[in-house]
Amino acid sequence: MDTLDIISQQIANSLILGSFYALVALGYSMVYGIIKLLNFAHGDVYMVGAFIGFTLLSLLSGFLGDGWLGISAAVVLSMIATGFLGVVIQRIAYRPLLSAPRLSILITAMGVSLVLFNAVMAATFGEYKAFETGLDFEGVDFGSIHISHTQIVLVLATALLMTGLTLFINRTIYGKAMRAISIDMDACRLMGIDVNKIIALTFFVGSALAAAAGVMAGVYYGSIHFFMGFIIGLKAFTAAVFGGIGIIPGAMLGGLLLGALESFGTQMPWIGTEWKDVFSFGLLILILVFKPNGLMGRNEIERM
Amino acid sequence: MRKIALLFAVSVLVAGLAAPAMADIKVGIMVPTTGSEATYGKDMENAVKMAVDELNAKGGVLGQKFTTFTADDGCDPQMATAAASKITSAGVDAVVGGYCSGATLPTLKIYADAGIPFVITAANSSKFSDMNPGNAFLVNAIGSYQVETAVALFKKMGVKKLAIVHQGDGYSEDLASLTQKKWKESGNEVVAYELVNKGEQDQSALVTRLKSKNPDMVFWTAYYADGGLLIKQLRQGGYKGKIAVGDGSTDAKLLQIGGKATEGVYALANPLPEFLTTGKKFIADYKAKFKTDPGPYSALTYDGMMLLADAIKRAGSADKKAVTAALKKTDKFPGLSGPVSFTDKNLLATSNFVVLLVKDGKWSLSK
Repeated sequence: MDTLDIISQQIANSLILGSFYALVALGYSMVYGIIKLLNFAHGDVYMVGAFIGFTLLSLLSGFLGDGWLGISAAVVLSMIATGFLGVVIQRIAYRPLLSAPRLSILITAMGVSLVLFNAVMAATFGEYKAFETGLDFEGVDFGSIHISHTQIVLVLATALLMTGLTLFINRTIYGKAMRAISIDMDACRLMGIDVNKIIALTFFVGSALAAAAGVMAGVYYGSIHFFMGFIIGLKAFTAAVFGGIGIIPGAMLGGLLLGALESFGTQMPWIGTEWKDVFSFGLLILILVFKPNGLMGRNEIERM
Repeated sequence: MRKIALLFAVSVLVAGLAAPAMADIKVGIMVPTTGSEATYGKDMENAVKMAVDELNAKGGVLGQKFTTFTADDGCDPQMATAAASKITSAGVDAVVGGYCSGATLPTLKIYADAGIPFVITAANSSKFSDMNPGNAFLVNAIGSYQVETAVALFKKMGVKKLAIVHQGDGYSEDLASLTQKKWKESGNEVVAYELVNKGEQDQSALVTRLKSKNPDMVFWTAYYADGGLLIKQLRQGGYKGKIAVGDGSTDAKLLQIGGKATEGVYALANPLPEFLTTGKKFIADYKAKFKTDPGPYSALTYDGMMLLADAIKRAGSADKKAVTAALKKTDKFPGLSGPVSFTDKNLLATSNFVVLLVKDGKWSLSK
């Protein structure tokens, strides 16, 4: 492999990795945009989504097979189920605290994270589950670069979801309501917008996207476990902050850039792949210090 | 109300009096029952319980029955020291277990301070030979024995350029660095020596790095959960060379996680019950009892428990010092996985590694 090959292969790698980060980061960013909550349970929602998808696929593979048809059905159904889980979490844990100080709801989010994490750990006895599918490793070869069909489909699916989300936010009345609430919740209430319903919808969409990422990660990597949401939750948070938290295109850009940073950063000959997390979290610190509003964020003036 | 309280007090008193003059022999089991290595941990716990049930069914040893007490070491040094303290304060007579070397090493001192004999049935870092305070006994062959088997395999396969990947924990780093040393000594080249973080799902950056070095063989020295991911991603990334894994990855779960990618993967293994002539009855009994297949360390752990019982019998009591002395004198104890004797450092005296190959989605003995 010459240098050009390595660079091209890394671009392909970073697209996959970045897709997962971006999908999870979107949920962080949407929720933050609308109720100013850093939903630290979001990584665990991703994990639960993967487990729901896993269960569904084992049930569905009898009728639909474990190829793309079965997987697509599992992704869609898991998105719906996990979306409702997000709504339930919002209703039980966050809505009663909407008017409480920000810190209370942040701590509640950590509590939710622990509940989900430990529930899945207890239910799976802490074991790894092998996500078995009928997919093979066939793919396209360009010289020594190899890109499997699975990778192509995953990136396309992510692009599709993101386009859908962008249209939903910008073109529908619900999207408009979300944008309005993120600007001024009280004014929206006065204008007759059902704020609670829109917040619930935001959680639904955010959780559904995380579930899509979770199931796709399970299919792609081949195994899922109860702590899979922890690191990706933190990375997605980094991506969301990187792009500018609360800003939808920012989360997408942040995810893709973070994926690229990890893929290329660890390719330097004197730095091993074990430095991956150092890159991500080092970046988080740098951004929080030097550009806390992120790449696409506006400078906000806080009234004290 | 008072009557009930009185009745309760009396019954407690009677229960106290009725306790047998000969106390039970309490055996601590220290294994990971949660986390990424939980499968192995439970296999081992089952194996001890099976041995204990068999011993108790025959009336125990010296007229004393065995009871067990399990603590979860989570394959984590901190959790393990907590588990060891728990076991020590539970007043056990001996401990069996120890799966992850990294988690087992820091507990040695805790058991040594309490004078408890510790039969280690899976962990096999070479560091045990220096760090053993004298009360720990390794029933499994240590890592360096495995290295010799590995190097012999690579030579036989005509490998020239070797890539080694480990996870930076006591066990996998030990195996990786020893293999690197031995391989270089035999005049061959190590083109890549890499470390990946535990629990990292995406290994594409590593795969590209490995592919750019063009190795004939990638040797994974860590555990099955991440090993399955790496093998799958190596094949997905278009790597066409050979792959071998160390004994920590020799598990059916590796085949499930890696799927079709694991076909043709070589593995170094401890004597698995299914490849042992003595293993047939063990497998049948284990399956009947636990409704699942015995894992790779269950036979060794069963041997460990039986060896402990044998040592107690030879010592004539469950006295910790006497049992430790008796364990030290073990001479060719007939275990399922072969005769057990110890070196002067309490390590297993003879190697017991075999080479396996994945064929049609199953482990089979490689010729």
